[in-house]
Amino acid sequence: MTESASAPHVVIVGGGGTGGAVAHDLALRGLRVTLVERGELTSGTTGRHHGLLHSGARYAVKDRESAVECIEENRILRRIAPGSFEQNDGLFVAITEADEAYEPLFFESCLASDIPARRVSREEALRLEPNLNPAVRLAVQVPDGTMDAMRMPLRFFATAKRNGATIKPYTEAVAMTIVPSGTGRAVTGVSVLERTSGRRYEIGADLVVNAGGPWAEKIAALAGVDVPIAPSPGVLLAVRGRYANMVINRLHASGDGDIVVPQRELSVIGTSSWLADDPDHLSVPADHVAMMFAEGSALIPAIAKAQVRATWSAARPLIGERGATSGRELSRTFKCFDHAADGVEGFVTISGGKATTLRAMAEAAANVVCAKLGIDSPCRTREYVLAPHTAYYA
Amino acid sequence: MNAQLDPAHDTHATADTGVRVRFRVYRYKAGDRAGHFDEFSLEVAPETTVLDALVAIRTRLDPSLVLRHSCFHASCGTCGMRVNDTEVMACVTKILDLGSATVKVEPIANGALLGDLATDMVDFYARLAAIGRPLIRESEWLPSSIVPEGIEAYNRFESCIECGLCTSACPIVATDPRYIGPAALAAACRAVEEPRGLDPGAIMGLVDDQQGAWRCHAAFECTEACPSAVDPAGAIMALRRRAASGRLRSLIGGRHA
Amino acid sequence: MNEQPLERTTPERGTEGASPRRRGLAGWADPRGRRLGGLAFILNRLTGLGVLLYLSFHLVVLSLLARGPSAWDGFVSIAGSPLFLAFDVVLVFGLLFHGLNGIRVTLVGFGLVVERQRAMFVALMIVGAIALAVAAVRIFTAG
Repeated sequence: MTESASAPHVVIVGGGGTGGAVAHDLALRGLRVTLVERGELTSGTTGRHHGLLHSGARYAVKDRESAVECIEENRILRRIAPGSFEQNDGLFVAITEADEAYEPLFFESCLASDIPARRVSREEALRLEPNLNPAVRLAVQVPDGTMDAMRMPLRFFATAKRNGATIKPYTEAVAMTIVPSGTGRAVTGVSVLERTSGRRYEIGADLVVNAGGPWAEKIAALAGVDVPIAPSPGVLLAVRGRYANMVINRLHASGDGDIVVPQRELSVIGTSSWLADDPDHLSVPADHVAMMFAEGSALIPAIAKAQVRATWSAARPLIGERGATSGRELSRTFKCFDHAADGVEGFVTISGGKATTLRAMAEAAANVVCAKLGIDSPCRTREYVLAPHTAYYA
Repeated sequence: MNAQLDPAHDTHATADTGVRVRFRVYRYKAGDRAGHFDEFSLEVAPETTVLDALVAIRTRLDPSLVLRHSCFHASCGTCGMRVNDTEVMACVTKILDLGSATVKVEPIANGALLGDLATDMVDFYARLAAIGRPLIRESEWLPSSIVPEGIEAYNRFESCIECGLCTSACPIVATDPRYIGPAALAAACRAVEEPRGLDPGAIMGLVDDQQGAWRCHAAFECTEACPSAVDPAGAIMALRRRAASGRLRSLIGGRHA
Repeated sequence: MNEQPLERTTPERGTEGASPRRRGLAGWADPRGRRLGGLAFILNRLTGLGVLLYLSFHLVVLSLLARGPSAWDGFVSIAGSPLFLAFDVVLVFGLLFHGLNGIRVTLVGFGLVVERQRAMFVALMIVGAIALAVAAVRIFTAG
């Protein structure tokens, strides 16, 4: 996309999936975009998740809106990022009597959320996935899938770059330029430290988007504002062996370690949750790892003896209590904070969301950005087929 | 809000474990005439990986350290490094398994450096792009299972995680910039075996070349280094077999033409 | 946190190069971190060069024949010395290694026996070791 030199310049701080998708959306709308990320792209939370392409089924019972959002984005991603998914659907598997009792509500909720669902008998489930716990009672097939947690978002960066956005990894935002404006202040630029050279310089901006995930609070502090986002880590476990081709979920109301995602020749089990202070200090607690083994082997017994490839933690951005009343809910899963409400113009924080909803989150954030900048340009990301991830390095 | 959990239960701890390890980390910034090693000292736990240590060094000791990482489970391919002279994925390399009080960390070889431990992968990807990087293949796992309704066949990602460990370990890549390299050749072999829309004839034309599959000297270091069981050396020999038998067939066929 | 503060050594400028682009000579000759195949590759190159050097030496020696009996006898007098015989054993090693590994490289190079190439290497080296032992004995006991 050719953007004119007079188009507004938006600086995005944060190179995860959200930042990448916002860069892509704004670039398509003709804005000038610069994205800065202190490390490698997706090195925060985005790259670390188990890779689930969500069908939304997990939310169908408790959170209908989230479920509908997920399945819609699931379909859109398959359309705009073809070839980036292991598309084998998923099974929600009932192991106990309680699980089995939960099934009718679960099944109906899926259909009500427009999530295609099919009942699968015990026998068929074991023929589809022979490594399932033989105590399986029944299952429900839904359109889950596996995405490459790094390469799929990288397609957004690649496309944005092709369309004129400037993507700067290893470039850390260390300060923001704030000037008096009207009755308050305004952010007019970001000072960055280019870690590959040690050079410090300023990037002027008409608007700054904080897409820092669990680091959003640290970035907002650079602008002198408080944003109620805290890291909520969870442990993940990857074992060697592709024990299933479909994503295997526990058929119950949400719990820890209730999913096994196949990824190349690994099986990834996740996840748990606790609260942390600092996204740069995530521990990997032994008892949570043990829990992943226990819950994973309840679904696939072979996991108990499987060889561990890795254990690690990833932090979700958790919007705190203060955020319940502040900020605007763009949807049930993500939120936008326009800091004009805090007296600072030109600064917006976008937070929350799931890996699957990155495009939707970006559309909503880009709408807010364009409204603030007085740009009237519709979102085109629902249909625009993304460049391959290899194009990022071209 | 709770403080973080007691680090004593942190299986990947980088402090207060009583086991201290010395790290020699390669450093290079744009404009430097030469690289050098910086030394850091950390306490580690049995499960602490080289990547955990490097992230801790960057967070607590030296924020100017540049390194690539993303998935923490050897799936994204970004954290490839040379640790004590061997190509490994830092995120799955446990420090205490190395059996050494000093751990030397360098970037992967045979690629331009962005800085410190981060390699510029542009050249690597250019070679993959020339071949046509296949990303999906039919799943060979659990061949006895039936496939669910609505799915044509089970599929899965290609094994190659584009980490560059193979090109770092290859003795030919070290000396000859024209050699296509094990990563691109392995991708070519996959593309030829399961084309999925790519043109196998054109790909064979690219690799059946002095600087393609025939340039390899069978050191097999690429296969040893690969964290993802791609077996690039086997792929290169398979391409040679194809090229040779193709020539043989056309030779024989030519007689009867 | 009780870890020691940042320790920065005096930078060893110039020892590693501006950036580890192509490793060049170190990329193939450095045996550190190498596995069996990589070591075989290094040794193949070294024995190849060594045998080439020997061939040149051999031609020079043969040219002594053209210079008459006294020049040739001069050579023969040192050719029986233990040091010279030791070099002969090294030469035999070089020829054996290069030839036997060469069999592996040739077969593998056409896509044959690829899956068992390490086993083949080990087997060929055992054959070579036996042949070397026999040759060494004969070299040091003959005449």
